[in-house]
Amino acid sequence: MSDLFYYSPKRRDTGKMEHVSELKPLNSEYITLLQNRRRKTKYQNIMLSIIGFLGFLIIWQLIVMFKVVDTKYLTSPIEVANLFLVKLTDSRPEGATLLAHISSSLTIVLSGFGLAVLIGVPLGLFMGWYKRFDSFIRPLFEVIRPIPPVAWIPLMIVWLGIGLRAKALIVFLAAFVPCVINSHTGIRQTSEVLINVAKTCGASNFTIFRKVGIPSSMTMVLAGIKVAIGNAWATLVAAEMLAASSGLGYMILMGRQFGRVDLVILGIVVIGAIGTVLASLLNVIENNVLRWRKV
Amino acid sequence: MSNNKSDIINANVARKSLAVSVNFTSAIIPAISILVLMLLWIIIASSTEFPSPKDVWDRIVFLSQRPIRGLNIFGHTWVSLKRIFAALIIDWTFGIAFGILIGWNKTCKALFTPLFNAFRAVPPLAWIPLITLWFGTGEMSKILVVIIGSLAPVVINTQAGISSVEQLYLDVGTIFNANERQKLLQVAIPSALDAIFAGIRTSTSAAWMVVLAAEMLGPSSGVGSLIVRGMSSIDMPLILASMIAIGLVGALLAIVTQFAERLVCPWIRKKESF
Repeated sequence: MSDLFYYSPKRRDTGKMEHVSELKPLNSEYITLLQNRRRKTKYQNIMLSIIGFLGFLIIWQLIVMFKVVDTKYLTSPIEVANLFLVKLTDSRPEGATLLAHISSSLTIVLSGFGLAVLIGVPLGLFMGWYKRFDSFIRPLFEVIRPIPPVAWIPLMIVWLGIGLRAKALIVFLAAFVPCVINSHTGIRQTSEVLINVAKTCGASNFTIFRKVGIPSSMTMVLAGIKVAIGNAWATLVAAEMLAASSGLGYMILMGRQFGRVDLVILGIVVIGAIGTVLASLLNVIENNVLRWRKV
Repeated sequence: MSNNKSDIINANVARKSLAVSVNFTSAIIPAISILVLMLLWIIIASSTEFPSPKDVWDRIVFLSQRPIRGLNIFGHTWVSLKRIFAALIIDWTFGIAFGILIGWNKTCKALFTPLFNAFRAVPPLAWIPLITLWFGTGEMSKILVVIIGSLAPVVINTQAGISSVEQLYLDVGTIFNANERQKLLQVAIPSALDAIFAGIRTSTSAAWMVVLAAEMLGPSSGVGSLIVRGMSSIDMPLILASMIAIGLVGALLAIVTQFAERLVCPWIRKKESF
């Protein structure tokens, strides 16, 4: 959660060639050479990435083919891919097709996450701007924060049963904390100069909050939302493992109970893939909202 | 002149009243909010079946008289803590080493990053069924789950820290005729230390969360199992007692790692934040 506090600046692309280019004053011939070399390294990197990934899959396949590990414990990637196609239409053995599992998981995670953004972001912004509000809410927040969302599961189940509400609330708790923290930190970092300019122009405190504070905090808010979706997705699996009748977490747990390792691996792959898709969707949104950031 | 003096006095009064009001917001309001929370708890407990603070305390005392699996609440907490320490030591050794490898060597970075990202995309808890299928539900598989669950932040932060070292520092190293090994050990790693520590802090809190989930699945000892036991027997005071223990230990771990960070890299001045 707190790794969002560490922002590594984007790695500066200061390869060796740029130093050389500083020694030699710019000439177009040299620039094309440089560009070619850069393109070549990029191409090499892509090839290496593909090799790394394929190598992993091939080693996996070979391990299964030569029966290094019992097939009871590991199935080959090809079989997992086959099972994926089968599971699209077949609801055996745990009682729902893959798409049904996915939609049930997504419903829960999106409702919990949406609620967390709707409540958490304004709360964090107000806390960051109004000192008294902050010192009232902060202790309550500090009571909730160190308890991992997983630890809320039993309480929620006892209170609300195993339906959508309980799970959405657990997801909410997981996504809520980064939303609040990042909005708070973001609006605190509003440039004093901008605030003073607004004051000089006669803006009221609330106007400054609305027109200066909120826009300038958006980078941090969106970073928090990105962390929140990751947390939400990770917690969903836990919620579904403890109590559910459908969903991806339920699917892998059932796979484990039936001893179907292919089902478990398929579940893991699908969960990872959907998590990646959600994260990249948020990246697209971020780039749209923060278009001004890129000059 | 007298006008001026009264201005100064006025300013002093204003400053004093400001100090009082700051004190009011920083000390009294938090106290009020905690009091409100406690009152709310007591009122809810008296009107519904929700356990009151006293019930929770009684449950803790009762647990030490009649322990579950031979352990009272401190024993269970200690079991969980031992698990995360074992896992974290392995995590830090391998995570930092791997992070340095992919942060320093471009070829290794290109080769391993996509694979690592693919593994990272899977939530740590999703590994639990696979690992219990492979290694059973013993102690080792629990520690393994925690290792997997808290490895990623160490690797990512280390890699980010190592690969964003000021080029200037490295150039100075080059000028002083440092070889690659010296540049790595004496320039890059010290300057990435704060990033590495950020990773260590994150991994500690992640490990605490994952160990709970690992203990929740499958019967065992530890606070996670305690809370699940409370759930299956609808023993609300037990659930609340374990939640309080979990929260306290979580907060304590955060404070300890922060303190350690300040000891190891005292030059980091943290901005006021949460």
